[in-house]
Amino acid sequence: MRPGIRPQEHWRSKRFRYMLEVLRCANCGTVNATRRSVCRRCRSTSLVRERLPERARLLAFTEVKSATDVHDEMAPYLVGLLEFEDGTRIVAQLTDADYEELRPGMEMEMVVRKIAQDGESGVIVYGFKFRPVVS
Amino acid sequence: MSRVKDVAILGYGGYVPRYRIRASEIARVWGRDDDALPIKEKSVNGIDEDVITMAIEACKYALRRAGIDVRRIGAVNVGSESHPYAVKPSGTVVAEALGIPPTHLSADLEFACKAGTEAMQMIAGLVSSGLIEYGIAVGADTAQGRPSDALEFTAAAGAAAFVLGRSNGDEVATIEHVVSYVTDTPDFWRRAHERYPRHASRFTGEPAYFHHTVSAVKALLEETGLKVSDIDYFVFHQPNYKFPYAAAKVLQIPKEKVDPGVVTNVIGNTYAACSPLGLVRVLDHAKPGQRIVLTSFGSGAGSDSFLIVTREGLERKRNLAPLLDTLIARAKYIDYAQYLRHRDKIRTS
Amino acid sequence: MAGVGYTKVSEHWDRSLTELAAEAALAAVRDAGVERVDAIYFANAAAEITSHQMGISAIVSEELGLSGVPSVRVECGEASGMAALFQAHAAVSSGLAEVALVVGAEKLSDLMPEEFNTVFSMTLPYETMGFAGVTPTAIAALLYRVYMERYEVPQEFVAQFPALMHRNAKGVPHAQFPFEVKLEDVLSSPPVAPPLRRLECTAPCDGAAAVVLVSEESVGGARSGTVTKLAGVSLRTDYASPFDREDPLHLSSVALSVEEALLRSGIDRDELDVLELHDSFSIMAPLVLESAGFSPKGRSGLELKEGRFELGGELPINTFGGLKARGHPFGASALYQVAELHLQLTGRAGKNQLDRAKSGMAVSTTGFGALSGAAVLIGGDSA
Repeated sequence: MRPGIRPQEHWRSKRFRYMLEVLRCANCGTVNATRRSVCRRCRSTSLVRERLPERARLLAFTEVKSATDVHDEMAPYLVGLLEFEDGTRIVAQLTDADYEELRPGMEMEMVVRKIAQDGESGVIVYGFKFRPVVS
Repeated sequence: MSRVKDVAILGYGGYVPRYRIRASEIARVWGRDDDALPIKEKSVNGIDEDVITMAIEACKYALRRAGIDVRRIGAVNVGSESHPYAVKPSGTVVAEALGIPPTHLSADLEFACKAGTEAMQMIAGLVSSGLIEYGIAVGADTAQGRPSDALEFTAAAGAAAFVLGRSNGDEVATIEHVVSYVTDTPDFWRRAHERYPRHASRFTGEPAYFHHTVSAVKALLEETGLKVSDIDYFVFHQPNYKFPYAAAKVLQIPKEKVDPGVVTNVIGNTYAACSPLGLVRVLDHAKPGQRIVLTSFGSGAGSDSFLIVTREGLERKRNLAPLLDTLIARAKYIDYAQYLRHRDKIRTS
Repeated sequence: MAGVGYTKVSEHWDRSLTELAAEAALAAVRDAGVERVDAIYFANAAAEITSHQMGISAIVSEELGLSGVPSVRVECGEASGMAALFQAHAAVSSGLAEVALVVGAEKLSDLMPEEFNTVFSMTLPYETMGFAGVTPTAIAALLYRVYMERYEVPQEFVAQFPALMHRNAKGVPHAQFPFEVKLEDVLSSPPVAPPLRRLECTAPCDGAAAVVLVSEESVGGARSGTVTKLAGVSLRTDYASPFDREDPLHLSSVALSVEEALLRSGIDRDELDVLELHDSFSIMAPLVLESAGFSPKGRSGLELKEGRFELGGELPINTFGGLKARGHPFGASALYQVAELHLQLTGRAGKNQLDRAKSGMAVSTTGFGALSGAAVLIGGDSA
């Protein structure tokens, strides 16, 4: 039975999805999001594993009303562009907030939530989302 | 059972989702009377939340307070009756998301509403025996209430986590003694492939909740040689607003000792997180050197009763993570239709 | 470029992917008047999903009665057509082929809406965006917000571009939506991903477009009035996520490929009479125009308002309606753009014929600038 979500692919990416683990180039400082062997900017092979901070600033946001196969049951959901302190940017789903409650410039924090599930019997993909900071 | 040898609560955390539904809204849909509702309102998990995500959150708060090296955690036990997978422990995902390395034990527990305190006992045992250095015990549920059933008014979502280890001078509390009282009592159950549990109505009261709760507390007090007057707080399993006070009455416990640990009126019965979240709230407010008796009740049936003593570390660590009251106050009300969607009760295929 | 062919952009329930490709290809070959084809380049983004087919290039050659001819499928997302043109151009200019057929086709109407979103989302980096349900519409909306905030312009500035496209598509036989849509209609259409409105986005469709490239030596025999010169083609890549780039609003792959295509063509940018650019979303038109240097940053909306880009303006764009109104069948789009340029430069653009159409440029991109390409076409006496 062909899975809607491949368990192997989620497993390979879990450290990024669960903990925002990325590769920082020791040579030029660029954050490379995915597992790779050379820095996309300077081609150095000195890449070091690092976890991005839990906090980021919201730059812009929108709402996805029409989604892909596996994400459709969770739609509509919010998507935002966020920036970490060092200038690294990420696009991520936003949660625990209504569209009207969000403002550019808001401080957000990372939480682990359900991203998608493969029906009633397939695997569940958990991953990072951002929500307004709960102090 | 005997005294617990040197097990401390190094950190604690409670999490409640932001969504709430009022009991009166549920009553409206099913044409029930508005008076004599079992609670005021209950928490509802977000569409993207489940036992695993809530457990991760509660654990993060507990770890912030514990301040230990996550790599030295030897076990993660998650108690729930709504694990996302029937086969594949919730603990495996929780551990990975927290950065706990592979060399740990992960067990999922089930004993209705006492699965969380069971996890606490098991982790306490592992720590006490020296098998692990640190462990995390979680109680979490996105409890499923059968539509129109009495329990639909109260079945809620939440998670509580405790980091246990040996005392290190920095602990928020110590576990001094624990008693379990378990019988085969079919008050409330769910067969293997059923979606909703069933229960035996009033049979869930006296022979189930009250008998096990009262028996466990009595045994704990007897074994420790303590009286009600020696205890500062009593936290009970709270399936509704009445039961914890009714149990207190039987045991002749003053209401004031029960009040701080009651959260059910505003978040509902979070099942495996229920009494643990009561403990979380008490820890949020207690002073060092106070005694707490925590008594859970899980249908099927059984009660775990703990004697916990707060320590100096509590006041230092409390504010390293959000207080439960802060999360409770962060409430967004939804109606019954949205509730059905959040609780996955609408069939789309 | 000796000939072009294309189908109407529509929901062609009765035609499969390869049937559409064949219709456009055969029309192009007829238009070119060539007797043989030495190489086939088939541009297509999603055949594996829409048509359950790998190795489709051999099916295409068979459909055309050209089995035996080397045939390659080129996939570069929404810019597949430009990438295929790039490959074909290299083959012909190197002497490997005297006649190359470049045909692009896409069959999106068989997909359910969620499936279409899934397919379209494949143009984004899966590891960081696709897996999380981030769609191209969401990315366009985020870029739109950043654009409006940085340049302090109202939504009208951007939303007027789809209105222009529809003005140009009015009465165009092969356009998907050959009717006018006013700015007010665009702004009041249902919100899709705020601030984007439905009429600022392209709709799923089917279509095929083809061009025939021949070597300069063999042109002699063909009817000279219908031949244009593919003077310069360039293809460039950039980081897959716009937000990893130094400036998300500057599509450097567009800037570089436009520069390079002009350089190779030997003409200056002010000599260009017409542009066919990739307006997959309303916001893409300003981003492409400004990244390519045809408008100062943040001012393309103003210039449109002043009439610069209208059919009668200084630099007409998307003269048959562009991706928005003529249609955007992913793999075919860039080839529609190039074919439409060819029509303009050979005086066969019908009611949308520009008075001055000596040279033009097509700009295509995918993944919001992850890969872009530009092609300069020179027509008339200079061919």
